[in-house]
Amino acid sequence: MAATQETPILSVRNLRQHFKSGFGKNKMVVRAVDDVSFDIYKGEVFGLVGESGCGKTTTGRSVIKLYEPTDGEVYFMGERISAGVQSIKDQIKLERKQAAAKIKELSQQKSAASDSEKSVIDEKIQAIELERDAIIKDLKMDIPKRKADTTKNNKELMKRMQMIFQDPIASLNPRMTVKEIIAEGLRIAGEKSDKVIIERVNSVLETVGLLPEHASRYPHEFSGGQRQRIGIARALVVNPEFIIADEPISALDVSIQAQVINLLNDLRQEFGITIMFIAHDLSVVKYFSDRIGVMYYGKLVELADKDELFKNPLHPYTKSLLSAVPLPDPQYEKGRKRIKYDPSIHDYSQHLPELHEIKPGHFIYANDAEVEQYKKEIK
Amino acid sequence: MADKNIKLSVQNLSVSFRTTQGFVRAVRDVSFDLYQGETLAVVGESGSGKSVTSRAIMGILEKNSVTDSGKIIYEDQDILKIREEDFHKLRGNKIGMIFQDPLSSLNPIMRIGKQITEGMIVNGKHLKNRKKELSHAQRQTYLNLIDNKAKDVADFKAKKKELKALKETEELALLQSKHSEKLAQYAPAIKEARAAYKAAKSNAKKQVAKEWAEEKAKYAQKISAVKANMSSASPDQKKELKHQVEELQEQLRRYKKVTQREARERAVEVMAEVGIPEPEKRLRQYPFQFSGGMRQRIVIAIALTANPDLLICDEPTTALDVTIQAQILELIKRLKEERDLTVIFITHDLGVVANMADRVAVMYAGKVVEIGRSEEVFYNPKHPYTWALLSSMPDLSSTSRLSSIPGTPPNMLFPPKGDAFADRNQYAMKIDFEEQPPYFKVSDTHYAATWLLHENAPKVTMPQIIQDRIDAMKERTKARIDQQDTESGVT
Repeated sequence: MAATQETPILSVRNLRQHFKSGFGKNKMVVRAVDDVSFDIYKGEVFGLVGESGCGKTTTGRSVIKLYEPTDGEVYFMGERISAGVQSIKDQIKLERKQAAAKIKELSQQKSAASDSEKSVIDEKIQAIELERDAIIKDLKMDIPKRKADTTKNNKELMKRMQMIFQDPIASLNPRMTVKEIIAEGLRIAGEKSDKVIIERVNSVLETVGLLPEHASRYPHEFSGGQRQRIGIARALVVNPEFIIADEPISALDVSIQAQVINLLNDLRQEFGITIMFIAHDLSVVKYFSDRIGVMYYGKLVELADKDELFKNPLHPYTKSLLSAVPLPDPQYEKGRKRIKYDPSIHDYSQHLPELHEIKPGHFIYANDAEVEQYKKEIK
Repeated sequence: MADKNIKLSVQNLSVSFRTTQGFVRAVRDVSFDLYQGETLAVVGESGSGKSVTSRAIMGILEKNSVTDSGKIIYEDQDILKIREEDFHKLRGNKIGMIFQDPLSSLNPIMRIGKQITEGMIVNGKHLKNRKKELSHAQRQTYLNLIDNKAKDVADFKAKKKELKALKETEELALLQSKHSEKLAQYAPAIKEARAAYKAAKSNAKKQVAKEWAEEKAKYAQKISAVKANMSSASPDQKKELKHQVEELQEQLRRYKKVTQREARERAVEVMAEVGIPEPEKRLRQYPFQFSGGMRQRIVIAIALTANPDLLICDEPTTALDVTIQAQILELIKRLKEERDLTVIFITHDLGVVANMADRVAVMYAGKVVEIGRSEEVFYNPKHPYTWALLSSMPDLSSTSRLSSIPGTPPNMLFPPKGDAFADRNQYAMKIDFEEQPPYFKVSDTHYAATWLLHENAPKVTMPQIIQDRIDAMKERTKARIDQQDTESGVT
């Protein structure tokens, strides 16, 4: 891909999104997204696949700031748009703990020591405390900065990122006309002239294959495919450069799905829009995306160019996912063997896994031993 | 296929729904046969009538539905005509059903165990069932007589209205007299039948009571025999004997009805069969504590408790993702083998169809437009709608632009006069808009309803994209067979 040389339009660094529930012994932390990093380059379609509950939708929603990330950073067009503070909090905690351990050790010595030594130890303890406070102060300085980045309302920048939602029935307000739905984004972005708004709405309706007459109707008057077009029009009206499409076709009928995929393809070619395409249907993702990331339980386990991924799947989960895709071919289906994925085959007790680049553009989540093994496999 | 027995036969079934705007013709003149031991997949988009057909077979259509015409023949009887009480014997027991969304088909505030055993316990009152069975014939004749009478009265009223409108007083008088004569005939017959039914009922009651008393006496003897040993036994033996007595008592209870324990044992068995680990523990849990795939397994387990021989699966995997879907499909296939089930599989995913089906029926706008063995439908599709379905989804190797189907399905409040697909069909001819196409035979097992197969129709080949894909499939199959050959040659 030529695009890889360019600077990324979106980069996600160590994104974590944890959801907490309950108190005391019932307290539970769901690690919906755990340490995910990737870049999306201008003009490409980045597919994100995985089974339900693996965190692909949460990733999309964190990127567009529908959630406040727990940790990690998201850069959009070079600017940091959101950042979490959990890692700093963790670091502060760690610092405190280490200092406390040292002090404890010293105070144990103190009880056994003579008077002259005692004062020396006291000085030492004070020094540790001072050092600790200085470090913590430095760390704490960063927290408001990060929080400001997350809450700062950079409308001009955020306007360039839009989202298409999964369910076109639930995501359109039934009491608003199509025109109001589409124009809402424009109004929020600061457009006041009615004339301009109507012009923009009509032109965007035409782009998605609807008629200007449709503007005065309500969502329930449309079929599923048309409703999804309205959802796409709403995203397009502010001229975004980056669209997050969260399963835009899985709620649609088979015969309608192709219409929407073709439309998204046209938009991408016409306007050069970059798309992050979240789906669980692998054949659609393969058809539509340039690069594909595979997620499993909040982790990005494999990331590669689509042809590379389908030709050389390395991670056992990717293999199992690919082997589960049914194809409309009875003869092939008779011979298809499904590979089962058993997460317990990974032995991560010694070395912790991380994302390795095993081949240019092909990343995999593994520890050192596994990387060696995968490298052998690829040759 | 011809040598196989027909398990279920749907003949010219039409179902419509009464709505405020008029009648929605959901199913129009659908016919198909289902052979013993096969899997028939029904494909089509939402609103094509595939679920309504299956619900008609189960006899669980909504209240506002009207069965306009047609028959569903199962075990030599038309199940559209039989009484609701008689349907109880079929529904669940002979014909099981798995629903689409496992979350909404399970009761959220009831433990799984109770939901699985509920059906067994409700249907398991053996003595009551035996009573009903003994007086069944008399009851049937009695109810039939009443039905016939009601029918005659309705006929008479209709005729009377007609004649009154025509003002034919003479004929009216004749009709009246004839009718009263008939009614007079009915009266003693019904009386007799009722008496017979009552007698049969009381006889049945007596007989069942007698049988029950005999059984009780038998067990009482056994129990007393065991108890007699009790006085001279050591404490350990006593425990053993006590256990024996309990066992016998349980057996006696089981003669009367399906007991809680029996139902639970059976539930654990079935849950293990559908692959739920630790069934004893899981029985005590609620549906929300299960994952999507596990929930669907429970729904399947509930359907299986009554040992049905025909299983209707209404989009069982649509709400699940690929890996779980593959597991559930494998499970259904395995159960089909083990229990020799006949399956109707409803879906809109052609990949799933290719995986599961022996035969495929493609439905559009309430009609079956193409039916055939799955190889025939996938490798030699004839109907333009099948072409459109096949070409609208990308497969793993497609790169060219998808050919989408323009427009939307027709509004079934006003069913189109001709071929329902004509509006969206680029190959539509004039006749498609005027007359409905009949079924044209492609092979003995393959039929398609499109005018394109008529001998006078212009020759149309299927779109290039499908042709390419089919060629690719054939190559893939050939390559695999070659590979297998070389492999087997080596070994």
